[in-house]
Amino acid sequence: MNERIGVYVCECGPNIPDRIDIDKVLEEISSMENVAVVKKFGLLCSNDGKKFLEDEIKQENISRLVVAACSPREHEKTFMQVCRKAGLNPYLFQLVNIREQCAWMIPDKAEATRMAIKYIRAGISRVALHNPLVKKELEANPDVLVIGGGVAGMEASLSLAGKNRKVYLVERTESLGGMTNKLSQILPHQGTDLSTIQEKIEKIQSHENIEVFTDHEVEDVRGFLGNFEVTIKNVKEEESTTNFLAGAVVVATGFDLWSSKDMAAYGYGEIDNVINSVEFEKMAASDEIQLKNGKPPQSIALIHCVGRKEKGYCSKVCCLYSIKFAHQLKDKLPKADVHEFYSDLCIPEKKDQDYFEAVKDKGVHFIWSDEIKIKKKEGKILVEYQDSNQKKESVEVDMAVLAPAMVPAEGSKQLAEILNIPLDETGFFKETHSMLEPVSTSIEGIFIAGCASGPKNIPESIVQSQAASGKILSSLIPGKKLEPEVKVSQINEKFCTGCQTCLTVCCYGAISFDEFKGVSVVNEAICRGCGSCVGSCPSGAIFAKHFTYSQLYQEVLEALS
Amino acid sequence: MNNKDVLILGAGVAGMEASLLLAGAGLKVHLVEKDSIIGGQTIKFEEVYPNMECSTCMVAPKQQEVLQNDNIVKYYLSELESLEGSAGAFTARIKKKARYVSLANCIGCEACYEPCPASLDNEFEEGLAARKAIGVPCAGALPNVPAINTEHCLRFNGKDKNCKKCQEACMFDAINFDEKDETIDLKVGAVLVATGFDLLDVNKLPKYGYGKGKNIYTAMEFERLFASNGPTSGEITLRDKSTPKSIGIIHCVGRKEQGYCSGVCCMYSAKFSHFLLHKIPDAKICEFHSDICVPGKSYQKFYEETRKKGVEFIRTDNVEVNSENKKLKVNYQNGNKGKDVFEADMVILSQAMIPKKGTDTLAKVLGIKQDNKGFFSTQYGNLSPVETEVEGIFVVGCAEGPKDIPESIAQAGAAVGKILNLIS
Repeated sequence: MNERIGVYVCECGPNIPDRIDIDKVLEEISSMENVAVVKKFGLLCSNDGKKFLEDEIKQENISRLVVAACSPREHEKTFMQVCRKAGLNPYLFQLVNIREQCAWMIPDKAEATRMAIKYIRAGISRVALHNPLVKKELEANPDVLVIGGGVAGMEASLSLAGKNRKVYLVERTESLGGMTNKLSQILPHQGTDLSTIQEKIEKIQSHENIEVFTDHEVEDVRGFLGNFEVTIKNVKEEESTTNFLAGAVVVATGFDLWSSKDMAAYGYGEIDNVINSVEFEKMAASDEIQLKNGKPPQSIALIHCVGRKEKGYCSKVCCLYSIKFAHQLKDKLPKADVHEFYSDLCIPEKKDQDYFEAVKDKGVHFIWSDEIKIKKKEGKILVEYQDSNQKKESVEVDMAVLAPAMVPAEGSKQLAEILNIPLDETGFFKETHSMLEPVSTSIEGIFIAGCASGPKNIPESIVQSQAASGKILSSLIPGKKLEPEVKVSQINEKFCTGCQTCLTVCCYGAISFDEFKGVSVVNEAICRGCGSCVGSCPSGAIFAKHFTYSQLYQEVLEALS
Repeated sequence: MNNKDVLILGAGVAGMEASLLLAGAGLKVHLVEKDSIIGGQTIKFEEVYPNMECSTCMVAPKQQEVLQNDNIVKYYLSELESLEGSAGAFTARIKKKARYVSLANCIGCEACYEPCPASLDNEFEEGLAARKAIGVPCAGALPNVPAINTEHCLRFNGKDKNCKKCQEACMFDAINFDEKDETIDLKVGAVLVATGFDLLDVNKLPKYGYGKGKNIYTAMEFERLFASNGPTSGEITLRDKSTPKSIGIIHCVGRKEQGYCSGVCCMYSAKFSHFLLHKIPDAKICEFHSDICVPGKSYQKFYEETRKKGVEFIRTDNVEVNSENKKLKVNYQNGNKGKDVFEADMVILSQAMIPKKGTDTLAKVLGIKQDNKGFFSTQYGNLSPVETEVEGIFVVGCAEGPKDIPESIAQAGAAVGKILNLIS
């Protein structure tokens, strides 16, 4: 090998020379094979230091660079930039950490010096085997598939559609609007009224860059970020399918309400005038709040938390919409007695408590209750419960409105399989990171927004779809190519036995199986370089670029010698 | 006029998220931060719910990305003084205080701290520890470059005009006493407000007995107590250094007075219990609450696990703390059984989130409204939660109202989407 390896040891101020005998280090490493230049410098990350390195690379014809300094987390990017500027491939570089890993942890100077020498020699033998990796560029389609035409899906469509970006909005029912079609009104402090939503529907239907497919479902999605191939089918004519390409996907499939079969314990479907929230919304919307016998109710029970214990989570919106129902009841039937049965009042947004106080002022009774049982009693409804002092109590009412838990929309499991994205233990779609990445999934280019990822209210669903749009708008720019990860896995076909173990460990969908050749293939555009497949391969057919067996082996061998 | 630069006020999680997304789209971002470091309030926590993951580990990579991204111009110790113009053509005047330490030359070796003769209460540590007049607020601060507090520095406050001990200790020529405050005019296309929140001052509610020397801690003080980079290196000790055996955590402090539920306190109070039991396994813990607010698919499980570990949750509307003696007495209404008392070595108060100090002034500078709770007002009622009534000005995160980290981050992303549509 005719390499000219340049090794530069940074003093990092007093940090390193105080604890490591730098001159001894320089002496020990200059004798290594292919090492052409060995120098020390005060502070390599300073502007002077960077200029010095750049000049050295050019003047000394350095073909591979080793810098012994601080942690790669601090300055690997900095020195890779220097390499680029000097015309040296930035992957023909190794940063050896002799600060955090030697100077700052080994109190004995002789020992720290010995370790520093070992680390640097290991780094030198590694860099000798580096390959000049090159960034690739990938064409990307900027169009977006939005699955679900409710509030979240509509918001995403309007945010994304534009002159150079088309949106395909796929909705499985016959109309847009989702759950809002079943509402009588939104909470007053969250929306002026439902006309805002109607306006959005009209805007979408007349938008020249949004193609709406109602009565359609997604049948198949193949590909990856920037290059998805989508097949959708007409639910009324199953043979009728449509295909198109898209660069990203937004899953906005919403939610369902806890099913009626499980609610029999609350008298739903068994006792007259026990209805659920959607049925009440319908009555309120048509201004006909009536019992089965056509008369208006004189006493109503609003039962919160139906399914909270059973499902193990709080659905967030029910306290507020039950308060909305109470407001509506008191406004339309001022003489009616309204009782709200709750386990906790979940009213976390800044204007929610005012809304609650206002309904209390209207004379609505709030009863903390546990162990609710709903029974029939002589044409009326008996709500039995245990109060906060554990005393058994009951209230007789004409009508009971149940607020059931929000559950994942029907078909979520199948859709998750089609898209290869995970569901979490509650059955909702799983976000990449519950704190930092609330709208991303493990598949790059597929986003989730709204109740598809868990119970939330309308403004939050809107924020999430705008956030997903923000992510797409900032990364999938019309005309701009994508630069996928460089340090990816690669499969050596000669050694692949076709066992497909690697497919089972890849959580990014980056490996596929070539049936014809009988081998696995890595899609370098989506591989994130995590290395899981490398470790899983029983034949040793997979290696990770920049972390090959020979690179790692030589490094360790030198360090242990 | 279509200026594509964006001004972001506040470098907490929301501000950093927005900066990185916009810079990733190729836009230039001017990130203005009042403090000498970035990270906001999240870096004060040791762990976050519900996964009890290390907060600083979670945020540090974002901080590093922000620091290393050349498309994001950072202004520390800076505030917005005035804003003129309109969407696509704003002129923002930034007032930048001098740091007196060069960001380019300083490597964070900390050699200047020890020789400094002046100290002050460390605001980051909620007054639980002191620091020198030259320093960073906490270990692991990013950027790891100190600033000089001119109020306490002997040279700057006139008590010892010739003191230059820090400069003498510096080997990198990083300290410059002649640095001046600056006024910088920026031309931007959009403004994003992500200035965060404060917590209610518990001195305003004497019924909780908070006072100097007492073993009553605010939520933030407790966060610093359990932080491994905090004043006690994560050991839970009382003011006299002994270990508490019984702890009362009081939720809803200020809920009635402020008129809203802050949404995050039930969860972080449960987090405190988890942590306390981890450090003091035989501790007796009682949490006093009016409601338990644990919305969403993952929070209730965490609360139930806390109960399973033996933490008692008492529902009560009426709580007071008597701190006359060393042993604190938490007096509460126990349903219809009358008044009851819980004796505690330590009491933690979970206070309401309130608008950040300076919100009134900033609202006037920006020309945007505040709501009746003092937070910045947005078009929430028009189903556009991150837009203000002024085109081109957005508000995200706790500046808009109490919320948790994922919601702040989602709002930041939403504003980015709106800005990208506005600007392009």
